[in-house]
Amino acid sequence: MENQEKQFRLNVTRRHFLTKAGLGFGSAALGSLLFKDQLFGANDASSLPLGLAQYAPKAKRIIYLFQNGAPSQLETFDYKPLLNKMHGEELPASIRMGQRLTGMTANQDKFPLIGSTFGFSQYGQSGAWISSLFPNMASIADDICIVKTMNTEAINHDPALTFFQTGSQQGNRPSMGAWMSYGLGSENANLPAYTVLLSRGRGNGQGVYSKLWSNGFLDSVHQGVVFSSGENPVLYLNNPEGQDKKSRRDMLDELAKFNSEAFENFGDPEINTRIKQYEMSYRMQSAVPELTDLSKESDNTIKMYGPDCLVPGTYAANCLLARKLSESGVRFVQLYHQGWDTHGNLANDMTMQAEDVDRASAALVKDLKQRGLLDETLVIWGGEFGRTNYCQGKIDKDNYGRDHHPKCFSIWMAGGGIKPGTVYGETDEFGYNITRDPVSVHDFHATVLHLMGINHEQLTYKHLGRRYRLTDVAGQVVNGIIA
Amino acid sequence: MSRHLSVLSNLIIVLQVFLVVFCFVDVSVLPHSILFIGKLHPVVLHLPITLIILLIPFSLYVQKRNEQVDINALFELTLHYVALIATLTALAGFLLAAGGGYDAEALRFHKWLGVTIAFVSHALIYLRKALASRFMVWNTALACALIVTIAGSHYGGTLTHGEGFFAFNDKKESGVVIPTFTKKTTVFAGAVQPVLMAKCAYCHNDQKMKGGLNMKDIASMIKGGKNGAMWVSGDPEKSMMVQRMLLDLDDKNHMPPKGKTQLSSAEMHLFAEWIRAGANAKTTYHSLAQTDTLRKIITKIIETRPVLKEEKVYAFASASNSKIQELNTPFRRILPVAANSPALVVKFYLKEKYDANMLKEISSIKTQIVEVNLSNMPADDNVISALTSFENIERINLNGTAITGKTLGELNANKHLEQISLAATQVDKSTMEALTKIPSLKKVFLWNSKVTIGDAAELKKKYPAIVWDLGYVPDAAERLKLTPPFPVDVEKIILDKGDNIVLKHPLPGVQIRYTLDGTEPDSVNGKLYTEPLSLSGMVHIIAIATSEGWANSNSSNNTFFEKGLHFDSARLITPPSDRYKAKGARSLNDGKKGFPENLFMNLLGYQDNPFKAGFYFNQGKPISQIILSVMQNSGAFALPPERIIIKGGDSPANAKVIGTLNIGIPKKDPEVNINLPLAVSITKGNYRYIEIEADNITKLPKWHNGKGQKGWVFLDEVFFY
Repeated sequence: MENQEKQFRLNVTRRHFLTKAGLGFGSAALGSLLFKDQLFGANDASSLPLGLAQYAPKAKRIIYLFQNGAPSQLETFDYKPLLNKMHGEELPASIRMGQRLTGMTANQDKFPLIGSTFGFSQYGQSGAWISSLFPNMASIADDICIVKTMNTEAINHDPALTFFQTGSQQGNRPSMGAWMSYGLGSENANLPAYTVLLSRGRGNGQGVYSKLWSNGFLDSVHQGVVFSSGENPVLYLNNPEGQDKKSRRDMLDELAKFNSEAFENFGDPEINTRIKQYEMSYRMQSAVPELTDLSKESDNTIKMYGPDCLVPGTYAANCLLARKLSESGVRFVQLYHQGWDTHGNLANDMTMQAEDVDRASAALVKDLKQRGLLDETLVIWGGEFGRTNYCQGKIDKDNYGRDHHPKCFSIWMAGGGIKPGTVYGETDEFGYNITRDPVSVHDFHATVLHLMGINHEQLTYKHLGRRYRLTDVAGQVVNGIIA
Repeated sequence: MSRHLSVLSNLIIVLQVFLVVFCFVDVSVLPHSILFIGKLHPVVLHLPITLIILLIPFSLYVQKRNEQVDINALFELTLHYVALIATLTALAGFLLAAGGGYDAEALRFHKWLGVTIAFVSHALIYLRKALASRFMVWNTALACALIVTIAGSHYGGTLTHGEGFFAFNDKKESGVVIPTFTKKTTVFAGAVQPVLMAKCAYCHNDQKMKGGLNMKDIASMIKGGKNGAMWVSGDPEKSMMVQRMLLDLDDKNHMPPKGKTQLSSAEMHLFAEWIRAGANAKTTYHSLAQTDTLRKIITKIIETRPVLKEEKVYAFASASNSKIQELNTPFRRILPVAANSPALVVKFYLKEKYDANMLKEISSIKTQIVEVNLSNMPADDNVISALTSFENIERINLNGTAITGKTLGELNANKHLEQISLAATQVDKSTMEALTKIPSLKKVFLWNSKVTIGDAAELKKKYPAIVWDLGYVPDAAERLKLTPPFPVDVEKIILDKGDNIVLKHPLPGVQIRYTLDGTEPDSVNGKLYTEPLSLSGMVHIIAIATSEGWANSNSSNNTFFEKGLHFDSARLITPPSDRYKAKGARSLNDGKKGFPENLFMNLLGYQDNPFKAGFYFNQGKPISQIILSVMQNSGAFALPPERIIIKGGDSPANAKVIGTLNIGIPKKDPEVNINLPLAVSITKGNYRYIEIEADNITKLPKWHNGKGQKGWVFLDEVFFY
């Protein structure tokens, strides 16, 4: 509250000074023409978002298929036959190099290497190795770019997830989607710029928390809006029972009058933001049902995504909804699919998880492509870190587990200016260390922002006395994956 | 005079407002024509310096004379200072030029013009006296002096900032531009020279040969400067270029000098290795072995080169901002492609708000529109004629609209149209021919239209320059597994008398088959679900979905309970665990089941002792069956009780055993079931008191992680039938 008061008082700064300083008026008007949003347009008084891409963007929208719990790179995209050859042998100390371990395997006296129980084949023109878990994703090998050399600083789920989503492990910063909303604004004025869809697989799950789609220190309009799977995808959006559309409209008009009066009296810009938010919610009452109605989807669509796309709350349904949201101009659609934390029972759990996500993930890319939207939509598929090349717990004949491994893991990206049909980076034969072209989380963020037409060093927000960026003080655009 | 001052002070205020604005905004977004004014900075910056210096003698002069200022005397004083400063500047210039390294031609002009300025300014002092009354001649002389001064400064600027500093369309400061490597690209031309041009040639060029060194081409570099050759082929350690770039940054011989853009370590590495390899200007990149150090360095440089922003340049001017804002509505969004781009993208939202005029209304910005997105709008064939007026349009999205394609031919006039999306529309092959007349067209999207695989193949053959994208076509042989049917309200499993069980499936045309006897239904066995089912007591429904062209679904298992008899009061005889108390005995008859989201809000949990509770019925009612709903999840140590003992009677004192159920310890890990019903048949009778005891497992079996420990019993509901 105190902070809000301060901000209110601070509102009498540049704008008021400029608009009210007699002679300055003319030049301020000229200035507003030259700088547009910088002076008057943007909602934030304290910083300089352009509200537009700085340069022509390759991607206008993002759909991030977050695989929460961290799928193993060794069973998916990073083929390491040596591990099968050395099955059960001890991980050489020269490879591990004293890397820290989680509390879950730190007390193991042995670190036996273990190869993938799933077979690998090469697909597409790049000859990308993809495991038998993902027959459908293999069919889009020529559309995706597999990055095998992602690496992160965190070794446990929550900090790693938070780092991936906000560029910091602590969880007090704005999420990627919030930065996009802040930097690029909304394409569609009838829907939030940043939406979140949640689903849970049958594998061992890890929680997701609302801090992952937080606006952090940015204005609250940039917060991610969760679309839930029930009858009311957006909570509190429907009119209360007994109230029709007209009376709601009348009520909002009256309310807007009061609010405008309050704005006249107090001049707090938050009041105007509130009026706008009410108006957007009113329009969302029409826009959301139009989107979430799956009853008119064609047979081809259902076959493409798989029949579970009609069951609300499944990953497939969320992928389909993500396409529809994105097509309707939502800048950033964030999916989380839980259940990839395979400390034990890996063979079984990963099979179930793959059944849930394989078809729908591939369908999303195909669907965007056949609508002519893939070149302007960036799709990202991946988890928060990788998994160890050694076994956690006992090695069974058919079953084993893998612990957390932050030093290398694989993700894929498609569309939106990404070089299609490529595999980027190399890891060593043990699938433990990176030998060529590492991509840090900051690099990843810098690249994504670049594709969206923003220089990651220039999208900043001043908070607590310093300017913050999504990439903080690091990050380099990875040119090797850009078309 | 006062009017003069007022104009000046107003001008100052206006400019200073700009100055404040400039402090807070990113000036680099301004148009080039305005940024060009910045080039005046190196010229005008000398003025405040000089004038502030002049203020000192002026004020001394004024103070001595106590406001009795003679304007002529003041003027004469100024003239003297001008001559003095001009002469001093010229003298200093000679000393600076002695250091060498400047373009001789420009220096010659600058030197003589500088000297002329010094003399002319001195001459002005005497001319003023001689021409005191002849204003015309005096003003002419003054103008001449000004011209000489401008000319002199121009050459000075060329010397310091390089030729072409004042060019309007200057080459963007590009940094190191690494070209694309072809088979013929040499290491020198592709990697070494670009770095030299970007980071060294600034001072070592034809105009400004610092140290007598010119780096315009390899011949001049081999010639070297006054300190000798740049390198010794094959020996980077002895090469002056390498030695100098490795010196400490503060060393005066370090190159590039402090304050200029420094070489990256990769670039230094590149120079050293290139010299080690013989500084050969003819070696090509591709002729180097994969393992060659030099090749690796260049590969690294290629991969990390800065991304060039490829901005598409449009020939048309921007539309006015106010016009765009005026036309912008929540249902018709008009956004520039990027800041500073004149190109506009128009996208329509909300079916119910769409009308055909919305496209015509934006004709005032028709030149600027490069993309129109009408996807999922109820737009018909008439929309095409409106689109043809957008002469610069590149992309059109008509997915999911009502068009049939018969008017597509009208788009022939659009010379920039590259992509048209017609997915999920009624267009067919016959309307596609018209599109092929658009020379710029590259991609057509036809998924889910009337264009068939055969049509698409024909089009591809006939017009191979265009991508005819048919998208996903289902594999007719593929049998996908249906999802299981589910109850219409998943959470409502306790039903009131008269409530029906409604099963549903989201896919139209699906048949649901079910059994009530615990057997698995299939396409033949099992009853066809046609209408909602009524129930009595507990019902366990196993159901599958079947449909032509699809594989049968897995079965879904659902248990429903009819609401049982209400007890009037109840008490827990043994206490539940502190962590799982729910709402005490009431939880057992509140009609609320534990669901994953609120599992432990409704569950009573027991581990230290068995569950034991008494239930009172004011009027004795006939009861023949009791069902306990428990959670089974071995991971959470939650297993069914080993045995259930039920006593009944009129009061706790005379209750006798009326039923038992021995469940025992599971032999293997049972499936997770948060809603496991355990039915106990009891001697039928009218009981006013019933006591239920459920004994948790005292020693978990071998297969369990916590073998030997006590198991838990979690209950959420007790039904009396």
